[in-house]
Amino acid sequence: MDAFFSVFQLNVLIPWLLAMVLGIFVGGIPGLTATMAVALIVPLTYHMQPVAGLAMIIGVSFTSIFAGDIPATFLRVPGTPASGAAVLDGYQMNLKGQGSLAVTLDLICSTIGGTIGILMLILVAPTLSRFALKFTHFEYFWLGVLGLSMSAIISKGSRLKGSISMIIGVLISTIGIDVTTGYPRFAKGNIQLMGGIEFIPIMIGLFGISEVFRSIYTMQNMKVPVFNEEIKVSFKSLGKILNRNKRLIAQSSVIGTLIGALPGAGADIAAWVSYGLAKRTSKKPDDFGNGSEEGVIAPTSANNAAIGGTWIPALVFGIPGDTITAIVLGAMMMYGLKPGPLVFEGERFLVNQIFSVGLVSQVFLLVLGYLGIKSFSLIFKFPRNVILAGIMIFSMVGSYAIRNNIFDVGVVLVFGIVGFAMERAAMPLAPLILGRILGPMIEENLRIGLIKTSGSFAAFLNRPISFTLFLILVVMFLWDPIKKIVVTARARAKKQ
Amino acid sequence: MRKVLLTLMVLLLGFGMLYSAAQQEAQFPTKPLTIVCPWSPGGGTDRIARFMAEQLTTVLGQPVNVVNKTGGSGAVGHAEAANAAPDGYTIGNLTFEVNTLKYLGYSTITPNDFIPLIQFNEDAAAVTVGANSPYKTVPELLNAVKSGAEGKFSFSGSGIGTVWDLARIAMLDKYGIDPKRVKYIPSTGAAPAITELLGGHIDVITCSYPEVAPQVLAGSLKTLAIMAPVRNPDFPNVPTLKEQGIDWSYGTWRGFAVPLGTPANVVKILQDAMVKVVEGEAFKTFMKTNGFGIQVRVGDDFGTYMKQQFDALAAIFKLAGYGV
Repeated sequence: MDAFFSVFQLNVLIPWLLAMVLGIFVGGIPGLTATMAVALIVPLTYHMQPVAGLAMIIGVSFTSIFAGDIPATFLRVPGTPASGAAVLDGYQMNLKGQGSLAVTLDLICSTIGGTIGILMLILVAPTLSRFALKFTHFEYFWLGVLGLSMSAIISKGSRLKGSISMIIGVLISTIGIDVTTGYPRFAKGNIQLMGGIEFIPIMIGLFGISEVFRSIYTMQNMKVPVFNEEIKVSFKSLGKILNRNKRLIAQSSVIGTLIGALPGAGADIAAWVSYGLAKRTSKKPDDFGNGSEEGVIAPTSANNAAIGGTWIPALVFGIPGDTITAIVLGAMMMYGLKPGPLVFEGERFLVNQIFSVGLVSQVFLLVLGYLGIKSFSLIFKFPRNVILAGIMIFSMVGSYAIRNNIFDVGVVLVFGIVGFAMERAAMPLAPLILGRILGPMIEENLRIGLIKTSGSFAAFLNRPISFTLFLILVVMFLWDPIKKIVVTARARAKKQ
Repeated sequence: MRKVLLTLMVLLLGFGMLYSAAQQEAQFPTKPLTIVCPWSPGGGTDRIARFMAEQLTTVLGQPVNVVNKTGGSGAVGHAEAANAAPDGYTIGNLTFEVNTLKYLGYSTITPNDFIPLIQFNEDAAAVTVGANSPYKTVPELLNAVKSGAEGKFSFSGSGIGTVWDLARIAMLDKYGIDPKRVKYIPSTGAAPAITELLGGHIDVITCSYPEVAPQVLAGSLKTLAIMAPVRNPDFPNVPTLKEQGIDWSYGTWRGFAVPLGTPANVVKILQDAMVKVVEGEAFKTFMKTNGFGIQVRVGDDFGTYMKQQFDALAAIFKLAGYGV
């Protein structure tokens, strides 16, 4: 309890809240990621007490991952990689004039997801991290395949076109230095291509820039503001929506935390997987992609829950759950702490402080997130031509900022055109993103797994977790035919 | 009239050039400097670079900024620094990988493309196994590798052709073992390799001791030896490879350099400032709390060190069968 109250001192609260406000901006601006914000904050925290530094890092993670959903919903530009899946139904809801409902749902479900993630960190961290250690290349391979199969589930319209889009994404992911052999593939001596094509500029280009091109192409009236709607949501209707989706929120949050706790997967994959599973388990799967509330709730709950998840291996074993916790583990040494298994046992007070910060951050997120939505809605009062120019500029600046590379600005523009062309051809964009994210995960884990087994595929099936993941995959693909058989059998039984 | 004007202009131009040259000579630096870091923000190299930048700002009296130019396993950042204007305002943060870019076919950049300023860090490779591993010394482990079936042991540590991989290859070779006798499981860095070792999915990792220290202190991993000539005073309990009868030391390092063609006086100013920083208490405290080893080589000493390492790598790459 002492630990809980100790976080409410001014020299902790002030940097903490400032970091959370910063997170709203970082998340809201495409290309700026939570990881970048943390890397920049860390040197500032060296002179503070450890809990203040950690509070800044935790705070900025939660607000930025949430705030990434705001431009995803209103402008179809994901603010952070974790908001890629938020584009699908959030933006559709916005087109129906329900944008403010969507972001309010994002805020509340982010808070609930975040809380569940932190609660799981508090309650089951040691068990979960021991489970996560059992994952190796064989299991990550199936997890990647499972994620990629979501592209078949998430794409609306033609399965064939969805597959083509996915394959383009996988092919793009093969460009650059191959981890397994160290060979620079498809780089042709070009030093930029050796680093691979970063996926954030691809995502911003495909979704955001292509939408700008589309607006210009369809000659929309440029002088009118993009949004006239006031951000007003009645709490009554909100309560109703949350109530009827409580199982989905819990399901997505738990999946988010589990995936976050795996050192080889993070918030972005968590969001996609929970979106796919939500559609699979939904009673109204056809609404997904057309502005379904479930399609908004699932990814946003999962990506914030994943933050708590990434701290699980970091605190228990001192191994990073993602890029942010990797930086945190480095920072801990500056605070005079030795990160690793000893922290969890030896620094119990600090660990309790981290738990408290995680929970209280959710309350702050609710307030600051609301203010964030409000201030973003002011921007949308500008006429459309100003907004579109703004999207272009921020997208380019943001992609430059990823690795200070002008090459990435070119990537954004090229994929803006690609995205525009693909949509003209009714080809879904999300599978391409999934292919780019999961391609390397599947390829590297398959090939390195085969190095381990000297070429035998057996380990991919005869290990308990890898076999379970394989079974889940089979069930997911056979779900529809099985359902059909059961339904017809029942109908027949009724007739007789 | 025209003649007068022309003479005036020539005079003015000449004077201006003289003035700016004089100014540059007298008071470099007159504008902010940039350190190009080839690795991501938040990593070890970046953290040291930012600390050095902060210290150099005080010494040089001009802001020193760190810019991360990542990608291509260090190729992008090193190339950027080598190709920068040779005026001393862009400083390259070199790391061990500058030696490997050419061998791996990533870039034509080698240490010969830079004027070395200073090396300020070196971390020896450590050979680490799981806590339950039956081996207590490196020779015990390597004898088991020798007598065991081919491919029985899995090693990891980082990616293909990285310092930890090369350290392993050379160590095996020194002991008379064909490096291909063990499996090398490439990873994207030391952290994922440590995770694999903790999970019992691999047998041995090579990476720096500070990276595994938390796990070793907690008793979940065991470091057999570090590849250094003498024990490190910061962790005196860890034996060296030499003590165990294998005369081989290897490790990663970090330093600063400027592009070829940078004026000698500018090089001197930068070098003096950097020497001043690394001799300070603040630097020593920073390195110690972060677990980074201090190794200072100035100017040509640093250059010779890099060149020797670069030349020696040809044989190691050949052994491994990597690259072009």
